[in-house]
Amino acid sequence: MPETLRVAGLEHHFGDLHVLKNLDISVESGEFVSIVGPSGSGKSTLFHLIGGLLTPSGGTIEINGVDAIGRRGLIGYMPQQPALMPWRTIESNVILAREIAGKRDKALAREWLARVGLDGFARSYPHQLSGGMQQRVAFLRALISDQELLCLDEPFSALDAMTRSEMHRWLLDIWEANRRSVLFVTHNIEEALLLSDTVYAFSHRPATVLEKITVPFDRPRRADVVDDPDFVKLRRRLTDLLTGSPS
Amino acid sequence: MTWRKWLPPAITLVLLIAGWQIYTSVSGIDKWLLPSPADIWDAAVDQRDALTTHTLATTELTLYGLAAGVAAGLLIAIVLHLVPILRAAVYPLLVISQNVPIIALAPLLVIWLGFGIAPKIVVIVLVCFFPVAVATLDGLGRSDALIADYLLMSGASRRQLFTKLQWPNALPTMFSGLKIAATYSVFGAIISEWLGSDKGIGRYMIVQKSAFRADRMFVAIAIVVVLALVIFGVVALLERLLVKGRRHA
Repeated sequence: MPETLRVAGLEHHFGDLHVLKNLDISVESGEFVSIVGPSGSGKSTLFHLIGGLLTPSGGTIEINGVDAIGRRGLIGYMPQQPALMPWRTIESNVILAREIAGKRDKALAREWLARVGLDGFARSYPHQLSGGMQQRVAFLRALISDQELLCLDEPFSALDAMTRSEMHRWLLDIWEANRRSVLFVTHNIEEALLLSDTVYAFSHRPATVLEKITVPFDRPRRADVVDDPDFVKLRRRLTDLLTGSPS
Repeated sequence: MTWRKWLPPAITLVLLIAGWQIYTSVSGIDKWLLPSPADIWDAAVDQRDALTTHTLATTELTLYGLAAGVAAGLLIAIVLHLVPILRAAVYPLLVISQNVPIIALAPLLVIWLGFGIAPKIVVIVLVCFFPVAVATLDGLGRSDALIADYLLMSGASRRQLFTKLQWPNALPTMFSGLKIAATYSVFGAIISEWLGSDKGIGRYMIVQKSAFRADRMFVAIAIVVVLALVIFGVVALLERLLVKGRRHA
């Protein structure tokens, strides 16, 4: 399968602080890849490097086979907070990434809002929506950005547990129907296993790949996969790996 | 409802005017010292033709001056925002400019620029540009860093960052500055008319003061207050139309 994202030997320093160490990651076309790691392990830095906001100290980043170092506008990005513009309606927010690329298309925004159960909110303003709804809008904004690679940076970390599992179902349904390449960062192990095809476990700073795990469960993922004995075993293994306990 | 908001100050105003009327009747104070509200009303009716001409002249001057002041304020804010080194160099001078008393500066402006409309516009610009410039500059510099990151990663240019994020983000604070400028502008126009003018409410005030016509002075003051309120109201209306979503100053 062709690779959407290929990161090889990536290094990054902030002054004396060694943040990323010899990182190798790849996301294949249509693959859902998660990165789990402790807080402060440089996961957001990785996104800033892939997004072209920062230039790495060393290594390569390729998106769709092309060098992407320092190049912006190649990914669909969903940040930790919704980061919606409070003065724009939902449909205008959703269209933002396309608007930047000069492809403003409100009809498309409305069509997608309806498809993901957000119709009726098109003309609302962000402050009129709950936190979970705002995150759906932020995801949709990334999804219709017309980029093959979606980078989601701990998108559900600010949500309560109930809303979070609702969001998992919602995201899986949409993603499984519209296979895109996803790089998903989280510190929630169960979330990573539930959603992903591949999970990378990151170490503490300087972050490096401790292990690459291929998640063996079928698509579409069933909600009760979390009770599967294999799932429980994988979760145990990842927890031990990340907390440093012997397995 | 809005009448709930307006009723208490309206009642206070009516009571004040009633108390004033009663005091002038009972004390028998001279009319040239303190005219009663009824006297002032009579003066207004009596002078209505002259007052209309003067009010129109002042309104015109105020609007020209306000427009120029707001334009200057916005221009300064945008330039200083885009060129940080200029901001560091010029911003303190802007603050100093506000400490120069306009009353003292005004005669100099007349010497430099003559008796035409130019020195008058400059006076109004000097009182109006500052609140607009400071408020806008503040708003431009306070946009959400997360949204900025999002836009940059999505490939936004610096220009798009300005037009799509920083400028709309500055609108609410800009309007706060604009409201202050709107109220200052009438006061600036009156001062500039004192400099030497053949028409306008400021000119009218000077003439009536020399004639000890306190009643007509009060009419002029009332007109100034109403004019300032109307301009403020228009700006507030514009704000309601242009600032969308959550008010997040």
